[in-house]
Formats: sequence, C-alpha cells, structure tokens
Amino acid sequence: MNRHELQAMVEKAKEKHKQLKHKICVCCGASCISSGSEEVLKKLQNEIKTRGLENEIEVVPSGCMGPCNQGPLVKHLPENTIYQRVDCENLDRIIESQIVEGKPVEDMLLFADSREKPFVNANEDPFFKKQLKIALKDCGDINPEEIEDYFAVGGYQALDKALYRMTPEEVISEVKQSRIRGRGGAGYPTGLKWETVYKYVSPQKYVICNGDEGDPGAFMDRSVLEGNPHRIIEGMTIAGYAIGASKGFAYIRGEYPLAIKRFEQAIKQATKHGLLGKNILGSPFSFEVEVRIGAGAFVCGEETALIASIEGKRGTPKPRPPFPAESGLWGKPTLINNVETFAAIAPIIQNDGEWYSETGTAKSAGTKVFALAGKINYSGLIEVPMGTTLREVVFEIGGGIQGGAEFKAAQTGGPSGGCIPAEHLDVKMDYESLTSLGSIMGSGGLIVMDKSSDMVDVARFFMEFCMDESCGKCVPCRVGTKMMHDLLQKIYDGKATQIDLDRLEELAVYVKETSLCGLGGSAPNPLLSTLRHFRQEYESKILKEA
Amino acid sequence: MTATHHTHHHAHAQELSKTDPRVKLIAAKMKKENHKPDALIEILHTAQNAFGFLPKEVLNFIAKELHLPPSRVYSTVTFYHFFSLKSKGEHTCLVCTGTACYVKGAQALLNKIESQFSLKPGQVTADNKLGVQVARCIGACGLAPAVVIDNDVHGKVTEEVIINSINEKIGTI
Amino acid sequence: MNKISVIIDEKKFDVDPQKTILEVCRENGIEILTMCHLKGLMDIGACRLCIVEVEGINRLLSACTTKVAPNMVVKTATDRIKRYQRITTELFFAERNHVCAVCVSNGKCELQNLGYKVELDHIRYPHLFPQCEVDTSHPWYVMDHNRCIMCTRCVRVCNEVEGAHNWDVMNRGHQVRIISDFNTPWGQSTTCTSCGKCLHACPTGAIWPKAIVQGQLEKNPVMVTELVERRKMKL
Repeated sequence: MNRHELQAMVEKAKEKHKQLKHKICVCCGASCISSGSEEVLKKLQNEIKTRGLENEIEVVPSGCMGPCNQGPLVKHLPENTIYQRVDCENLDRIIESQIVEGKPVEDMLLFADSREKPFVNANEDPFFKKQLKIALKDCGDINPEEIEDYFAVGGYQALDKALYRMTPEEVISEVKQSRIRGRGGAGYPTGLKWETVYKYVSPQKYVICNGDEGDPGAFMDRSVLEGNPHRIIEGMTIAGYAIGASKGFAYIRGEYPLAIKRFEQAIKQATKHGLLGKNILGSPFSFEVEVRIGAGAFVCGEETALIASIEGKRGTPKPRPPFPAESGLWGKPTLINNVETFAAIAPIIQNDGEWYSETGTAKSAGTKVFALAGKINYSGLIEVPMGTTLREVVFEIGGGIQGGAEFKAAQTGGPSGGCIPAEHLDVKMDYESLTSLGSIMGSGGLIVMDKSSDMVDVARFFMEFCMDESCGKCVPCRVGTKMMHDLLQKIYDGKATQIDLDRLEELAVYVKETSLCGLGGSAPNPLLSTLRHFRQEYESKILKEA
Repeated sequence: MTATHHTHHHAHAQELSKTDPRVKLIAAKMKKENHKPDALIEILHTAQNAFGFLPKEVLNFIAKELHLPPSRVYSTVTFYHFFSLKSKGEHTCLVCTGTACYVKGAQALLNKIESQFSLKPGQVTADNKLGVQVARCIGACGLAPAVVIDNDVHGKVTEEVIINSINEKIGTI
Repeated sequence: MNKISVIIDEKKFDVDPQKTILEVCRENGIEILTMCHLKGLMDIGACRLCIVEVEGINRLLSACTTKVAPNMVVKTATDRIKRYQRITTELFFAERNHVCAVCVSNGKCELQNLGYKVELDHIRYPHLFPQCEVDTSHPWYVMDHNRCIMCTRCVRVCNEVEGAHNWDVMNRGHQVRIISDFNTPWGQSTTCTSCGKCLHACPTGAIWPKAIVQGQLEKNPVMVTELVERRKMKL
C-alpha cells in the first residue's frame, strides 16, 4: 500500500463511521472478559442482526475503558454512555431502552450504585473528568482487532507524516521538544535516548518495545497492548525510521496471552497493508516487528536483561556502560522504550512536540497512565496530566477509600518504589516530587492502603518479591535481599531487636548503592520509604531489651 | 488426596518418539527458527505448551537439535518461572499474589486450598489431578483477588467460590 | 595509540583508552579487591568488590567492566567503598557453609585472603546455612557447593577457554547453583573433558582434586591467564 492508498483507506473508514448512527463498544480487556463480556458481546451482536440494525449500529469489542472493577462495561457512542456490570440478562434492558427507544437506563449507568446521580455522558463523571487521555486515547473506543478502526481515528497518519514530511533528525527533534521521559519508570528523556542511538553508526540497529510489565499491581502496558496495538506498532516504526533501524522486537509478558494475540494479529494486518515490511507506504524505509514472549522474570524489565532474554539466554543484567544505545541486542545499537512511551509517539508527531510539552509540569511533560488498585472505591486504569496530585487521583478520580476508611498510604512504583503517607496526599505526581519522598514514578502501579495495612508486612511482601526475582548474579542483591527479607520477617514476627533493625538499615543502603542493576538498586526502596514514613511501626515490633 | 513433590513421569523416562505429534510440533518450531540458539526461549514455550511441562528428554532433544550444551539449556529453563520441569497437574489452580490481590486476601485463599486439598503452591496431588501455583500478578488487579483455574480467570473470588470451582473441575473427569 | 589522562586516587596517569579502570590500577600498583575477575576471562562485574567512585556519576561502578575515559577522576579507597567491601565479604561468608579448618584451600584461599584484607574478625549477619551437596561422582575431582561463592570463574573458563561448557548456573536469586549438564552428577557429564581448568580458576576450595588433604591444595589461577595470552600470541 502506498500513501495515497492509505489516505483512501482512512477516508473510507471515516466515512463508514459517519454513516453509522451508533457504535456500541463492549469492553474486551482482560478484566471485563473474565467477568463475562464476551458473552455480552455475542448476544448484543446477534440482537442487532436479528433486529436488522447492523447498518445503523455497529457493535465491536474494544480495549480497556478504565473502571475495571465495574465490568463488564458497555459503551454507547456517540453519547458516550457507559453501562456497568452488564450481563446477558440485563442487556435486554439496554437494548429495549437505549437502543430501541433512545432512553438511557439510569440504574445501570456507570457508578449508578455509588453515585447519587450517575452521568449519562461518562466524560462528565469525576472519574473521567480529571483525566486527559493521550496514550490511552481511542483505547476503549475502537476495535483493537480491526486495523480499519484504527484508520478511522487517524491511524498511521503520524507515520505517513514522519516518512514523507520529516527527516529522521526532525522526528528526533520533535520528540526532544515534547520533553517526554521514559514511561517505564526511570524517566530518562526519550528524545535524548533516540538521538544517542541515532548517532551511533551501524549497518544494523534495533528497536525494542519493553512490554515486560512485571510490577505486581501494574497493568498499564497490558491495557494499551490489548486495547490499541496498532498505536504501539506505529510508534515503534516511527522510532525505527528516526534512529535508522530496520527491525523491532516487542517483548511481551507471557502472562498476557490476550495482549500477545492481539499484537501478533496487528502485526499481520499492518504487514498486509504495507505498514510494516519492505518500503513502507512506498517509501525507501523498511521495518519489521517480531513478538518475543517473556517467560516470567521480573528482572527482564531491566534493559540489559531484556536483551539477554531476546537472545535466548538467562535474563541476567550486564554492568553499564556500555549502554544498549551503543552495544545492545547482538552487540548492535539498540533503542529500548516502554509500551506507554511508544503509545505517545504518534500523537507527538501528529500534533507536535510543543503541544505535548504544554501538558504536565516543567520537568515532567505530558500525561501518565496509572493502574489504581487496592482499597480504593473505583480501581482501574486512568491517565492524568503529570503533576496531578495524589489526592485528586485517590479521592476525586478513585472515589476515595473503600468503606469510607481512612487513607494510610499509596504505594507507587511497585517493588522498586515506596509508600506515600497521608501527610503528602497533596504531592504532585511527577518524577522529581515522588523521588523526593523516597518513592518513584515507576511504571504506574498505584496501590492504595487503608489503616488495616501493616507497613512492615508491606515492606516484607515487596522484599520477598525482590528476593525471588533477583537474578542471583551480583552478591549484594543475591545475598542482601535474602538477608533483608529474613530480618524483616524477624521484625514482623516480633522476634527482632534494635540491633537487627540497625543491620537492616545498613544493608538496605549497601544493597541500593552496590548492586549491579536497577533491580537490586531499587529493591530496598519499599523498606527505606516505610522506615522513613512509618518508623514507629517497626519500632513497636522490636523487642525491648530487658 | 495427599500432596507429593512430583517427580518425572515414568511415561517420559524413555526415548522420545519421532512420531509423537508433540515432538513434531517442537521440531517444526525449531525448523521455523532455523535452529538458531537465539530462539531457545521461543522453542521452550512451544515445548511447554505441547507437553504441559518440560521433561528432561525434551530438553535433551532441543539441546541436541540446536547444538547447545545441556547446561546452557538447563540454566535457561530454571531461570524463568514460566517453565516447569515437573508436571503441573491435569488441572491447575493459579492464585494471583500480586499486591492488589495480596491486599484483598490472596493468602486466605491459599490457606483454604491448603486445608481443603493439602496442597501448597507448587505442589501437585498424588494422582496428578490438581496442581496449585501462585503468580506474581496476572494484571487483573481490578478484580482482586483473582484466581485462574485451568485457563479461566475468576475475579473477586471468595473461599467458597474457589473450592467449588476446583471441585467442579476435578470432579468432571 | 593516543593516550588519555585519568586521575586515580589523586594521581595522574596517561593510559591507553581501551583499558579498564581495573587494568590501569593493577598496572600502576593500586590495589583493587576482586573475586569474580580472573585475567583472561570475560569480566562480568558480579562480585562488586572492585567498585569505585567516578566523579560525575552517582552510581558506584565496577572497575573490571568500566573502561577509562578522558579526564576521568576515580577514587578506589574511600571509607564508603571500604565499608561496602567489608559487607560484601561478610555476605560471602554468610551465604554458604565455609569452614576453613577442614578446607583443602585453608591458607591458600582467595576468600580467606579477602577476609584478612578487609580485616574481618566476625560476621555480623546471620549465616544462611543452605543445604548444599558435595558432588564426588567425578573420578578425579570434587565439587563442594558449600564452598562455592558463585563467582562463575569455572563456568567461564570451561566455556571460553576449554570450549566444553560443562558448567553453567541454574535457578536464580539465592537459589543459584553451579550445574554440570542437566544438573546431572559431574561424573556422568557428557561435555566435561576432565581438563581441570575449572579447579585452577576456582578461588576457593569448592573444586578440588581428590586425594588432597586439608590445606594442601595448590591452585594455579595464573595458568588460565597465561594460557589465554599464549593463545592470543599464536593467533
């Protein structure tokens, strides 16, 4: 397919959507599927057909809509009315009232059971009102299994623009101008990373999409891969063009079979349409993407370990320098970005860097996707401008703590992050502010805890995770995480003394500073941050000397 | 039912048969990957999907075909938690112990399973009918606590639901 | 080749830019503690004993894997580094079951020497006392996992120099163990050539020849280095 044919496809897809009176999306993200959304989808499709409405109303499976624990969700467009907990029985009410009579079913609206007055247009609900969707835009509104649906929302237009109206240098400059930083957690400036790889001269370079989302409590990448896989392919292809790579790998967790299936399907569709492969859109640029399935090792989120894993080896990290930008996959210059970072590339190119940088804070531009979970009323997937406060996220978007209990802490950054206590609820969620509190942005897991959570147990839980996930190569992480875990267990069991606590603290700083890679380097963070904000909980468990 | 640490099946102790469809599947995958050692993990995925776990004979077959030292194959297999050297049981119950599920009581579910079936995570019943595993987060945090029985995800699971679902599975054989 | 200037412990050196910090230090008499490093084998930066402070970089870097760079300022012996080297040594001793009095390497052991170097007089952390096997199945050699520190020098010498790749590492985290073939007894290995290089590369008493009594083991790790260098010359 050349670029003119692409334009024609896009126009055709847009035209088709204009002719439709309504579009109904049934959320087929992993969460909603497990609550039975596929049956709802099937029944709804049959009903529309039986009633002969298929030319007016299109029913499609879509990616994640956000409020996962209200699922299965059904969205009625263009009114943007979301129905919650839809099953094959109460679906009839939606059909009779919403579809036949055009009247919303009040008591099935999203949050109808918890809000005094639920909203017919979901975008007016506080859950969505404070959000700004860039990476997740279209996710939940389109069918991730149909490339035409992506065309209808302007899909692959950014790739066309990059290939035909921009030089690789200009693409990089646009990404730099956007000030976007790596969304995998470390927050390294993406544009700078691209420029570094671009500058290395090599006949072969690689692009890797890191979808080894291993933090317990995080499902941002999964939702994007499941809900809008073409966006990632487009972002990777633009990156390949910018840095001069002809091959990309998407490393996706083995625990995400649906994401793998949809991504592989998207690769096939893109290849069929000439959006991957040789001479993309008729240009001299060629690029292909392959999926690599993770095999259950958290450490493979670390760049050098991920590379070893793609090479078919144990996922043990290597000391940096040399950085992958210089010597990565099979020793070649390699660009590694996270799923969410790639998801933001097409919009940045389509609009421009400055447009993106206008959102967010001075040092953290753009938006961030968070996965809300734990003791929060409305858990699920959200995207907010950088700098939104924790209070806004937990109490306005998330609807506060379950059962009206008292907020105790929010855990960000998973096993590499830390806890933010109630006195810092007004912290702005950006890279620097979270780091200054002893936590990290991380990939976006945000777990809310109430007074029933024991912070020593939380620290022990994460240390156990790091101990199990340590690759075992370097001494501080291999032995240190085990020692720290045992000491935390001893404290939790009420058998430890002040000396144990002192040793634990000394070890934590040692492991943080001497470990070979980021896993060991951040493994003590949950411990150090709970010590910083909840030291009394540790001290109350310490045996007082006789 | 009593729990045992499951060792290799006797059925797999002998040589692999070239006509075994599962072996053919692995051979086809290796051919597709041009017998590249780089593809070891992809091939192991195929092998585990075919056999349910990775018997030593299968590892030996792969090592020989890819011209890889046995220890290189074994070291890779044992690094990744996805790969198992022993049978996981005809039916599997996987309890998510990610942070959200942990906060919402995954441990209580495990305790219940242990009291009901005398199975700890990683163990298989003596008759190989049921195996219990834990996952570090299946990404269904909005449905915590989550459990996967065979391939079905169950969300917001209670102790009663999990026991009934398991009994349904193992009772239907 | 153009030389570059680096400052190590406040002294200036003009050096070859291809060299690592460790090589420059060793050539100039600056002591750097190492355990996983063995000249001639690929460096992996795993033992973290050779960590140094480099100005402008907030992480500690392993000297064995980091190349020198123009005007690099390196510190090798700050109080922080010394404190961390001591902890690392303690963790080595606490990890497995090291009993010097009954060890074939007693008096000639690199781990024991490390203990003296960092002036270790007791271990502050609880010993893990893992259950470890002693593999005596090989006709000539013994592998005692109790004495192994997971430096993987045996793995690398067997793979890189002998080309046999009998050894590798299984599991991960604190469960890692050195394995032969499919974790099969060493004596049944299909890949081992019985060359004995691993026993010379091993810094402790983990690999040793049979019929050696306590304290009598003579190891010759330099043999590995010389062998690699001779091969390079031949090429």
